Amino acid sequence: MPTSLAVIADSLPYLLAGTLNTALIVSLAMLVGLVLGVVIAVGLVYGRRPVRFLLGLYVWFFRGVPVLALLFLFYFGLFTWLGLSVNALLSAALVLGMTTGAYQANIFRGAILALPHGQFRAASALGMSDLQAIRSIILPQALRLSLPAWSNEYSIVLKDSALAFVIGAPEIMARTQFVASRTYQHLPLYLTAGLLYFLLTWLGLATLKHLEKKLRIPGYSQHGSQ
Amino acid sequence: MIDPAPPVLRVANLEKSFGPNRILKGVSLCLAKGEIKVLIGPSGSGKSTLLQCLNCLVTPDTGTIELDGEPIDLANRRELYRLRQQVGMIFQDFNLFDHLTARDNITVALRRVKGLARRNAEERAEQELAQVGLTDSWASLYPAQLSGGQKQRVAIARALALDPRALLLDEPTSALDPELIGEVITVIRSLASQGMTMIMATHQIGLIANLANEILFMEAGTIVEQGSPAVLMAPGCTSRSRVFCNRLGDLAEGGR
Amino acid sequence: MIRKILPFLLAVLLLAGGEVPAADTLVNGIDANFPPFAFVDKTGTPSGFDVEAMTLIARDLGVAISHQPIEWDGIITSLLTKKIDVIASGMSITPTRAQQVSFTIPYWVIKQVMVVKKDSSLTLDELQNSKKTIGVQQGTPEAKWLKEEAAAKGYNFTLRYYNSSPLAVEDLLNGRIDAAAMNDAPAKDALARKEVQILGPYGMPDEEFGYAVRKEDRELLDKVNAGLRELMASPEWQTLINKYELKK
Repeated sequence: MPTSLAVIADSLPYLLAGTLNTALIVSLAMLVGLVLGVVIAVGLVYGRRPVRFLLGLYVWFFRGVPVLALLFLFYFGLFTWLGLSVNALLSAALVLGMTTGAYQANIFRGAILALPHGQFRAASALGMSDLQAIRSIILPQALRLSLPAWSNEYSIVLKDSALAFVIGAPEIMARTQFVASRTYQHLPLYLTAGLLYFLLTWLGLATLKHLEKKLRIPGYSQHGSQ
Repeated sequence: MIDPAPPVLRVANLEKSFGPNRILKGVSLCLAKGEIKVLIGPSGSGKSTLLQCLNCLVTPDTGTIELDGEPIDLANRRELYRLRQQVGMIFQDFNLFDHLTARDNITVALRRVKGLARRNAEERAEQELAQVGLTDSWASLYPAQLSGGQKQRVAIARALALDPRALLLDEPTSALDPELIGEVITVIRSLASQGMTMIMATHQIGLIANLANEILFMEAGTIVEQGSPAVLMAPGCTSRSRVFCNRLGDLAEGGR
Repeated sequence: MIRKILPFLLAVLLLAGGEVPAADTLVNGIDANFPPFAFVDKTGTPSGFDVEAMTLIARDLGVAISHQPIEWDGIITSLLTKKIDVIASGMSITPTRAQQVSFTIPYWVIKQVMVVKKDSSLTLDELQNSKKTIGVQQGTPEAKWLKEEAAAKGYNFTLRYYNSSPLAVEDLLNGRIDAAAMNDAPAKDALARKEVQILGPYGMPDEEFGYAVRKEDRELLDKVNAGLRELMASPEWQTLINKYELKK
């Protein structure tokens, strides 16, 4: 297949730049999701009833509405209506971030609830405020327990990021489709796209695995969710 | 000095219910500086709840708490945090922070609550660990790598590092294997000899008879009997406390 | 750690957006899956008949221009929500669209054709009446027309919708559909690269392409119209037509 190889060779820089964009979308989405997820999880576990209700509503909404619909809703609707000039890449990252935030909230919430109750009491008994206890004692443990599920969430967000092409974010899928439309080399190009996604999956998971190993505490995972 | 020093901790008429269950039915007690009180009584009598009410880990429904003669506003979170800093608590199941080394279990409160710099906090931690007989080499181990007795000693060191005015000990040896109880008792004795104010729920007869200035016998949410061991434990005395302790002794010997 | 990474990522993201043009740049939204009128070449540069034409018009108007690939389904929404300023991307002038946007003068007449496999012996009649499957790009006038026509005349073909006509051609070659309905120019483009043939027109009236702008941008409409007229009268227009083989 000399033609297809030539097409791939020619378009590789363009596709690699798209891969970088995908990586950016996913990293930012995961970070936004981490921050949102932690805040929501803490609110769901320790918050008062109205707070829990509102956060529950958030989680329910972002878990219930398809990512595709959310992308349209925010990019063409909400961001524009708010007068925010947010480009497609950032919009995709924010929408994916808010969505994964809802899922991450459930991961962290489960991890917090899995911790022995005495951990919080011991922190309180030392005179820590609730916030200090959550920050210094509860979250470091809960986040460690969450890492395996969080890695899983990463690969899901990576795949969801392919939907960003519908709002014109210049990521892998959009660019693959463009080149394929011009060259009619659909199969080799989508294979290439698949390999690029695989590369990102592997890189991300290897990094997280490394992090997990680095943060491992002797004897710790014994009583956690693992 | 016109007034004598006020008691370190004084509580009056503490009541606490969980749902329909009245766990504490109006408990009052007073802990003078350097005094050691021992709480005994059947399980479910409210000892643990009482101890947790003393530093507001469990907020009492009614009643007053005074620290060094100053009443604590139970509705004010900051005052509660301050109360808890000054009244240390030792738990039956240690409750060491599982993600932190022995050293950092101690420094975390020093740094977050007292605002100490890392280096100062670590120096203090080493001192306190030495105090409970744990040397440097233990300091870097995580809770999962320590024996039960070592965990409880770290927990005591953690509480001591905050310079508490008093210590609450909730059955500090109950979760330990028999052969590990001794090392923890040694530490508690040494605290007593240094004049630490303590109130302790325990089933250890040795501690009850030798350490206590006063025995409080609890049953069904009230203190039904109180007095010095010399009186309550005197041979021939028919006190509830003596009967109870004799039974504990029988059990302990039967268990060997 | 997060505090260090987050601003960095944000900065990179805003820069790498790359496709964020300066404020005074005219942004042309294109369906990059519509060769030869609009596409991106293998290296990612927007290209095509409309892209070049619009670039020439912008040069005449003395404004900078950038071409932003947009999913066809959302291209009018993108225009209305000011993500882009103009659509120069083989858009047929239809009454429905004209209610939402303003069109320039027509610059090209487009014929609607059926494309089948090269070795196929299907006739138009068979396509319409023998329970065949026809692929078409969604959101296009031909998709709408085919659906209405089938209902009106009792044809029994099934329509299958695609994101772009090249994808329909791909599925035609895979054997999942029997024919693909599309504009003649992209059909010729496909012809040059794939084992397909043009069966011919299927009765849908010819359509005209125009460039679209927001209704309130009257001044821009006038300028683009003037530029377009000038371009169509110049030899450059013929050069473009030849370059993209629109008349072959």
